[in-house]
Amino acid sequence: MSEVNKKTPFVEVKNLVVHYTSEGREIHAVNDVSFKIEKGETLGLVGETGAGKTTIARSILRILPEPPAHVDNGEILLEGKNLLELSNDEMRKIRGKRISVIFQDPMTALNPVMRIGDQITEGIVLHEKVSQRKGEEKAKRMLEMVGIPASRYGEYPHQFSGGMKQRVVIAMALACNPDLLLADEPTTALDVTIQAQVLDIIKNLQKELQTAMVMITHDLGIVAGVCDNVAVVYAGEIVEYGSKEEMFDHPSHPYTIGLFGSLPDINADVTRLSPICGMPPDPSNLPFGCSFSPRCPRATAECTKEHVKLTNIGGTHTCRCIHYGKEV
Amino acid sequence: MSAPLIEVKNLKKYFDTPKGTLHAVDDVSFSIGTGKTMGVVGESGCGKSTLGRTMIHLYESTGGQILFEGEDITHVNRKKMHGLHEQMQLIFQDPFSSLNPRMTVEETIREPLELSRRFGKKALQEETERIMNMVGIDERLRHSYPHELDGGRRQRIGIGRALALNPKFIVCDEPVSALDVSIQAQVLNLLQDLQQEFGITLMFVTHDLSVVKHISDNICVMYLGQLVETASSKDLFADPRHPYTKALLTAIPSIDIHSTKERIILKGEIVSPIEPKPGCRFAARCEYTCEKCHQPQELKEVSPNHFVSCCRVDEI
Repeated sequence: MSEVNKKTPFVEVKNLVVHYTSEGREIHAVNDVSFKIEKGETLGLVGETGAGKTTIARSILRILPEPPAHVDNGEILLEGKNLLELSNDEMRKIRGKRISVIFQDPMTALNPVMRIGDQITEGIVLHEKVSQRKGEEKAKRMLEMVGIPASRYGEYPHQFSGGMKQRVVIAMALACNPDLLLADEPTTALDVTIQAQVLDIIKNLQKELQTAMVMITHDLGIVAGVCDNVAVVYAGEIVEYGSKEEMFDHPSHPYTIGLFGSLPDINADVTRLSPICGMPPDPSNLPFGCSFSPRCPRATAECTKEHVKLTNIGGTHTCRCIHYGKEV
Repeated sequence: MSAPLIEVKNLKKYFDTPKGTLHAVDDVSFSIGTGKTMGVVGESGCGKSTLGRTMIHLYESTGGQILFEGEDITHVNRKKMHGLHEQMQLIFQDPFSSLNPRMTVEETIREPLELSRRFGKKALQEETERIMNMVGIDERLRHSYPHELDGGRRQRIGIGRALALNPKFIVCDEPVSALDVSIQAQVLNLLQDLQQEFGITLMFVTHDLSVVKHISDNICVMYLGQLVETASSKDLFADPRHPYTKALLTAIPSIDIHSTKERIILKGEIVSPIEPKPGCRFAARCEYTCEKCHQPQELKEVSPNHFVSCCRVDEI
């Protein structure tokens, strides 16, 4: 295969390994995660609390608290350039300009003693090297784009409701037309009707600006509505990856199947849910072999013998399970 | 239909705030049959938790009536209330803050049993073990403290404590919203099993419509303190009539990627429940608003057991 003809993916994460040190124990948060995203595409990272989703996003933006966190291995390539090798100054130019983030909790993502308009303008002036006045004009346009009247430019975060605060955060994240948007549970703190509004705004703006996006969520419903590709993360590993259609029509890893079984589906009449037994594993003491095996209904002795690799099961669909394709 | 275990009539709960009176629950009436589950849904701040808490006397009601097994319990003295609280319990949303961090699992579950003074020393121990067993907490965790446990187990303790004295009625206030989906399903199944075994009547307060559909017999939809629609779970999802319910149902992200259902995206935000104007409180966000909407609304029966509070329900 000639390397020259192969197109460089827009964003690529290669073999990322991150651990935290806590009270002398090593917590393996991200274990060998790789994925690619093209322009205008959305990748959904799905998994439970503590699966390592947020750590992945923070490593891309290089905002992990180091220590206790430490990136042991891996590359994060933005158009072929490894972000992990950049100096702090170079990285600062990328953050908020080329890559920006929407955090889960809009209540804590905004500065409470700064007017919301100024918080948006700050980034624009810094990254686009424009005058304060030009910056303010753009900030006002951004506010209107997310459905907040520009006349509220001078108000403080506490004067806004949760949904509006999250829209301010979105306006801020998109102000410099980023190439990559990391949305870390952007609607978890919001009510469903407001959530629908916010997701709608994100989707439309993304389409308009051709932004690549990583959508971190535990809600498979949001994935179905927003994402093109999905990676299911369990104990810091991608256990299944595929396009939305592959994933929702043929969930293959027992954990993914379990996630679907745990969800009360609004369109179906199920009298009893089929939950996944047990609890997520302790990340400082992961089971050997397949880390899902202690909770897996299909687990056999083989599962704990050696580390399980991601295998291609058709198209772009990959699955990390030795039992895939075998009869139950 | 089974006889109602608990019934509320025109229940009101107002709070005084520096800006005026906050109408948290305004003129809500419904009843729950023995052994049934009533789901109460609505967005944050719509008064659904206040409703649950007022019903079991954690708050004193401002107006209206609460009937428990046919008896008026709206105003009761302390002694009577003590007895009532043995029959009516609450499971809290947040298993992280609702347990005493300085009490072990065993002590937490034993406390209500001790307070009831129904048990001798030996029976007390047996009963504690029975409850731990019932809600699926391992024997080995009896001396653990809440911070050592994960959310799912903590919620199990909350459930065990609520069930300790065999109550007839339990208000579950968002019992699974703080839990991961896989654990959420375990806790929902546990609640359903326990309800079947002991015939408990549940009121399930949540903002998660898929959960409520899954677990409830009947559903009340609330908007800013008012009941806008109530029906059996099946009817409500098959044929929502109030514009707010319709929007709410389409706003839920569905896991069906091939669904072509049109979504109704609401404009605007929830208005303040402080000193609200008369009339439909949803009017400001509703696409069908007309003159009549600004007059007080009444619950109308549109089909058997299906009530809607909207003056234009027949037109839309």
